[in-house]
Amino acid sequence: MVPAVSTLDSLDTAAAARALSQLTDGDHDLVDAYFERIEEVELPAEGEAPGFRLRREEGLAVRLVRDGRSWLSARDELSPEAFADALRQVARALPSAFYPEPRLDPGPWPEAPSAEELAELPLEVARAIRAHHVAFPLRLTARRHRREIQVVGPRLVPDPEVEVFYSLEAELPWGRWGALLPGLAGAGEAAAEPLVERFRCRNASPPEARADAVVVLSAGAAAVLLHEAVGHALEADTLALTGRPEAAVGFAMGPEWLSVLDDPGSAPEPVRRRTDDEGAAVSRRWLLRSGVVEQPLADRVWSRGSEVLAPGAARRASRHEPPGPRSTHLELLPGEAAADDLAAGADGGFLVSQVSRGALDPATGRFVLEVPCARRIRRGTPADPVGRFRIEGTVAGLTSRVAAVGREARPGGAGWCAKGGRKLPVWATAPALRLEGVEVVG
Amino acid sequence: MSGALGEVLDALAARGLPVAEVFAKRGRARVVEEGPAGVSVSYLREEGWAARAGDDRRSLFAAGTGPPDPAGPGGSWPEADGEALFLPDREALGIDPDSDPYREPPDLDAPLLGEREALGLVATFGQELRAELPAVRLLGVRLADGASDWELASRPGGIAAAGRSRAAFLRVEAVLAERREAAAVLEIAARSAREFDPRAAARRLADRLAVAARGSSPARDRGELVIAPAAAARLVAGLVPLLVGGRAIELARRLEDRHGRFAAAAVTLIDDGRLPGGVLAAAADGEGLPTAAVVLVEAGAYRRPLVSWREAAEVNPGRGRGRGRTVVRATGCARRPGWRDLPRPGPSHLYLAPDPEISPADLLSGVARGYYLLDADGPVTVDLAEDRLSLPVVGFAIERGQATAPLAGAVLEGGIGSFLRGIDAVARDLGYLPVAGAMVGAPTLRLTGMELRRRERDRGSGR
Repeated sequence: MVPAVSTLDSLDTAAAARALSQLTDGDHDLVDAYFERIEEVELPAEGEAPGFRLRREEGLAVRLVRDGRSWLSARDELSPEAFADALRQVARALPSAFYPEPRLDPGPWPEAPSAEELAELPLEVARAIRAHHVAFPLRLTARRHRREIQVVGPRLVPDPEVEVFYSLEAELPWGRWGALLPGLAGAGEAAAEPLVERFRCRNASPPEARADAVVVLSAGAAAVLLHEAVGHALEADTLALTGRPEAAVGFAMGPEWLSVLDDPGSAPEPVRRRTDDEGAAVSRRWLLRSGVVEQPLADRVWSRGSEVLAPGAARRASRHEPPGPRSTHLELLPGEAAADDLAAGADGGFLVSQVSRGALDPATGRFVLEVPCARRIRRGTPADPVGRFRIEGTVAGLTSRVAAVGREARPGGAGWCAKGGRKLPVWATAPALRLEGVEVVG
Repeated sequence: MSGALGEVLDALAARGLPVAEVFAKRGRARVVEEGPAGVSVSYLREEGWAARAGDDRRSLFAAGTGPPDPAGPGGSWPEADGEALFLPDREALGIDPDSDPYREPPDLDAPLLGEREALGLVATFGQELRAELPAVRLLGVRLADGASDWELASRPGGIAAAGRSRAAFLRVEAVLAERREAAAVLEIAARSAREFDPRAAARRLADRLAVAARGSSPARDRGELVIAPAAAARLVAGLVPLLVGGRAIELARRLEDRHGRFAAAAVTLIDDGRLPGGVLAAAADGEGLPTAAVVLVEAGAYRRPLVSWREAAEVNPGRGRGRGRTVVRATGCARRPGWRDLPRPGPSHLYLAPDPEISPADLLSGVARGYYLLDADGPVTVDLAEDRLSLPVVGFAIERGQATAPLAGAVLEGGIGSFLRGIDAVARDLGYLPVAGAMVGAPTLRLTGMELRRRERDRGSGR
């Protein structure tokens, strides 16, 4: 088990806060320091050298935002000298006197992990696949990710945050598959199920293109839909590409039984957060309440001067990148439909349990979900396999086509999000849902 | 070899891992971004290192920030596990570092763009774009200018190498204010940001947007196609699986016609790790082996793939000379973008060789009826199993060498073999694009045998 205790809690954050206060020139300035440690342990696919891989990095960034312009300076070390250097680089004017450099001695890294924890995983997946009475070539890479951050502002210093999670990546003869996992319990079966489905659909033909398909999305696939169609669409910077972000509030985006929140505080325990990557307290943010936009995702930059936008949704891919508004853990509130009811109303439609990729075009609001395989629904049950296709539509068009929401929500990884090349893990707790009248392109 | 690298190699040997390599890299960059949240300026300094080590039974990879540390990243080493590790051996590969000396380009010592200079360049680009197309709206601009240096040493093969580099990158995304679906992205790279020409870049993006806004596509059409460097380079990038790696020969052979022809006589493909003025030019690759220009396809004949030293040994023995192919020699082609990454074979400057005797106008003027494909409007898609290649494109319809109507929402589609054997002429205007970590180049080319069709959902744009 990986310790969830931060090694950054020994940083002299009070001294760092005092030093940051020299940069500000009044309340309108935003200043912060960001300290991080990242560890990634990787067990590559069998037969691939080097056999066991460890990456450890640490560093800091200092940021100043003033009058619509921001300056960021990042260093790949945690030391008083690096901090002072970064501070000087973002300062717009030399202060009359510098505070002493803060003591930045993080705790020691834990002992290097052994391969044992991850080594069991490929075996577990292989066993779970065999239990489905199938076998196929598979190259599986397993990783454990650990990230510690400490944000310091000139006035507020929140506690450090620690996230630990796992990721799997499989190479199959018929494509790639990946998943994020908050823990290893049940990971074998969680991976085997979609992999076996890919195997069973490997020779299946894509469906005919049609504009009025019925699609039942499993909890995992619904999580990707939510992320693209609600999460990205309601980020303040995405909204700003087409108008004022505040103008989205009150817009009816879906039916009244569609309520979506972003709540990092209720994410799976190993990735649960109390504060965001700017040190602001996270909240249970209603993105859509009964289908109506209530609170877009915003960070400190977007919420300053706004009576509508609230901070607490800032994320940063690393110290080298400025923060931006992104979702962390989306929740779709459960509805009343039982699993059988969802399928019963979808005769001739598709049961989609995995989505390999989603993309939103912020300029047009169009988005695409790529479905690697699915099952045709006949007489209320999953029947013949269907090959690769896409679900396309506009954000408002697709959310308004949610016809029923399942009553059992399941937590899990929604996947890696790479908006603007900035890769972040995203999580979701969602039930299955049924879409009616959507566009399917084979 | 610096002392720090030697100390790490000693430490690994002391842990019973005699086969080891240490790589260290430092870099600095200035990044200016303009987007909906305003303008941001970032100063980045990066420093990290990595070691691969093992014996004939097990191996490890460890990487960390800061200078190389004999105690391991974060003060400890992971266990070696799994597979044996093999590293290149200077003597066995016959490498003589003095046989082909490399002269570092003089611009390596030029300073990075200053903050004002970088902001000025971004602002000038915006002004030039608005001058070309007043209705334009910039969605985002990212300008990065960076420099790095690296060092590598390994045992027992006795490899030692070092290098320095400069690279700058500009990405711009824009839409037409009155027609949001008419969007375009421009990505260019150079050794230094001072080489960027804001007016030329703005004009190129404006052309793309204007065509996207006004153009349409035929449902299906054939005819002669003239393809400008920006689109042609994307098509060349799609050929990488046929040109790189141990399986490339097998994949390429499947595409040969019944006469054993891989491509038309106008096609010569080269990868050059030392390309003069190249953004990624270096004396040695990510494993410390000397780089060189390698002819992969010569006048239509497949000569060899780009393979790592280890793959070369597997591809060759005793069977390399068949059907006009040369013996595959190990050439430095391991790409290692950063200290976190393991080296992998890949192109550095992959290009379709130009013909200095032919101008783009010569190719255009000879077209009775066809299309001039100005730029790509999305990534190239290659399906080797189905022998299909497709690229979303924008451009113009042409009659008797003259543009008659803008073309947008179209996809260039056809067999990979048809593409390779359908290129009947190339011009002299070689241009490069940054694609998937490499620089890929092509001149304007003339092509037959491929088809243009309307995109399933013609949105007049696409990214």
